[in-house]
This record gives sequence, structure tokens and C-alpha cells, in this order.
Amino acid sequence: MDRITIERLGGFAGFGLPGSRIKSRGDVALSELSPADRSAVAALFERKDHGGPGPPDAFRYRLTRQTTQGSETVEVPEHVVPEAIRNRVKDVLE
Amino acid sequence: MRCTCCIVPADVLERLARDPDLSDEVRSASARTLKLSARMRELRFHAAELTSLATLSGLPPVELASAPAITVHDCKHTQTLPGALVARPGSSADPTATRTSKETARVAEFFRKVFDRNSIDNAGMTMMSSIHYGVKYNNAMWNGTQMVYGDGDGAIFLDFTGGNDVMGHELTHGVTQYSLQLAYSGDAGGLNESMSDCFGAMFRQWEAGQDAKAADWLIGHDIMGPTAKTKGYTCLRDMADPGDPHCLAPQPAKYSEITPGMDPHYTSGPPNLAFCAACKALGGKSWETIGQLWYKALTGFGPSPNMKMKDFAARTRKLATQMYGSTPAVASAVDKGWKQAGL
Repeated sequence: MDRITIERLGGFAGFGLPGSRIKSRGDVALSELSPADRSAVAALFERKDHGGPGPPDAFRYRLTRQTTQGSETVEVPEHVVPEAIRNRVKDVLE
Repeated sequence: MRCTCCIVPADVLERLARDPDLSDEVRSASARTLKLSARMRELRFHAAELTSLATLSGLPPVELASAPAITVHDCKHTQTLPGALVARPGSSADPTATRTSKETARVAEFFRKVFDRNSIDNAGMTMMSSIHYGVKYNNAMWNGTQMVYGDGDGAIFLDFTGGNDVMGHELTHGVTQYSLQLAYSGDAGGLNESMSDCFGAMFRQWEAGQDAKAADWLIGHDIMGPTAKTKGYTCLRDMADPGDPHCLAPQPAKYSEITPGMDPHYTSGPPNLAFCAACKALGGKSWETIGQLWYKALTGFGPSPNMKMKDFAARTRKLATQMYGSTPAVASAVDKGWKQAGL
């Protein structure tokens, strides 16, 4: 329950879209994050409005965490994602 | 079009400013950033309001310059914008800087010569680009005020400044922001992306002197890395055949395949096909007739942030008759293009 799975979506190349051959995925344990980053990630899940889809061709990040009530997913624009989370994804060609 | 700020949201900053587990320095920095961010949001909101008001009032923009300044900034593999200014980028030892400077100027020339448009805002706005953004960053974008280019990872993608269609695409997002102001979701999002692919493709064909039938209509062909090429991928998207498996990110071809919530890079398939098919049906150079129609549809009517694809299609059909009434083949080509896309 202490891991966050991360998917990077969209961008100019259309990562992670239906039928897309390019994916960008990763994960991170909460214990590996600094207190500031843990706090920032928690706020991302709590905040309901992240200001819309973000600038054209910018990436979005889909973050999923497990809770006692099941899994919880949030999709946010890149500019609100801490660098420690952004750096965890790896781009692959399937 | 709603343009978001590239800063941490207010409630995250508030939480950080109050978090007792953080150092005094981090809490103070968060509190300072919170105050600055609020002011920056106000400025951005009022700037967007001013742009909309000027457009709606029909007032011509006051020209900043008769031709745009072209600036290039080096992010040096950070994600801090705009980065360090590159002095004399046209003669830099960095080929990315040289290429960015040269091709951005060419896009400005394209919009000037072909559409009589003075830069992104039609008022000589400086065209700012940041290069070497992030580490092996597989992306390029328009952030609301400038272009941003990653170097690519060298495997799936090459340097994103290596594609002249990529540059045309990103700069056209700026043109859309200053004209039709299409939102980045729903039908409008797909149209927004399509405008950028259409004008990016036109710029590429204009530079090569190609007509519509000779062009390949591939988006991202020149930034495919060796790993992508080895697996048989030739492009990101194919405007002539959106679903073709040689694309890294195939798209639907018919409007009926689009459902709410889809990414604009997916939903741009049908309008891309409509434009490409119209250009090929008419023949000749894409920018000379069909491109002129599309440009008028994009810039001639003021903002319509939530425009539906069927309404954009109707607009281009009407313009075809109004602008080229003595040449029925134009209206026929436009109609054929949209019908192929299911509209």
C-alpha cells in the first residue's frame, strides 16, 4: 500500500493512447520520497481540480495508490507533479 | 483556451508552508511562492481577458514589430524555463540552437508569405523557444507563451527540433491560442491538435516545394529514432491513413469513433484526414487553396473555445463556396474530405 504507480500520458507523440505503441510507466515507494514530496503527492490525490488539461502537447500523469478502500487514481498535468515522481517513468516501445 | 500556469498549485504550497515536518527554509520558500503565484495567476488571467476583448472588439492588434524577434534559450537539461539565452543562435556551435533559430524564422516566413500573418499573434510577437529541456525528454510543447523542445532519448525519438513539422505544429498552437482559442478537450481539443498537424504538414510541404499528391502526410517522420525505425514505425501519425499500423500512435479515421474524454492527439484523426483528403482531391499545393480556407476558418471569426467538429466542417464548406465560388472543385474537395471522415 505504500507504492504509487505512475503512467505518463499524452504529449506530442501521444503516449499511452488507445492503440499507441509507446508507453511510459514507473512506480515509487512512498518511503523513497522526501517529506515534501510525500506531502505534495498526497495533496494531488486530495485536490479535485488541477486547473484543466494543461498546455498543448504537455504530458499528463496518472497516479494510482492503494488504500484501505481500494485503489485510487488521479490524472494531473505534468507541471504539478514533483520531479521525484516524473523521474521514475521509463519510455518504452511495445 | 484555458492556459494553465506551470507552477505548483496553491493548496500544495499552503500545505507545504504549514507542514511541521519541513524545515523553516522550505516552509518560508513555499509561503513566498504562494504569494508570487497568486499575482502571476492574476496577470495571466487578465492578459487572456485582454486578448479575448481585443479580438471580440474587432480592433486590430497594435503591432509590436514588423517581424518577430526569434530567441533561443538553453535549458541545459533542466526543466527550468525559459533557460539561458543563447547569444547569436544562428551561428551557435550547438546544432540544435542553430536549427531551432533557422526553422522558427522559416515558420514565421511561412505564415507571413502564405497567410499574411505577422508572427503567432499577428502583431510581431517574439517567438521564443527553449531547447535541451529535461533529460532525454521525449516531447515538445507550446506552454502558452513559448515553444519547448526535448532532445529525445536517441532510441525511440531523435531531437524534436529535427522535425520541421514538429516546429510548425507547436507554433500553430500559439496561432490557435490567439485566434479561434480552441479548448484542449472534447471536439475542440481534437480540432486544436488537428490545426497544428495541418499547418505543421503544410509548412513541411512548403519548405520542400511539394504538392499534396507528392507529400507523405506523415507527422513526426524526421524524429523517429533507430529503435522505432527498426520495428517498422515511420511516423507518429499519418494524416492520409490515421489508423495505419506504421504509426506509433494510430488514430480513428471516422468521427463516429470518437467518444468523450479522449486525448486530443487521438481525436485529431478525423479532421486530419478531412484536410488531407480535401487537399489531395483538389490537387496542387496544400497551402494555396485548402490551406487558405482552413486559415480563414481558424482566424476569421473570433474565439470559439468549445467548437464542435461538425461546426468547423460546416464553416469550411461555407467558406469554400464564398471564397472560391467560381471554382466548384474546391467545395467538392472540401465536402469529399469531410465525408471521408464521417462528417
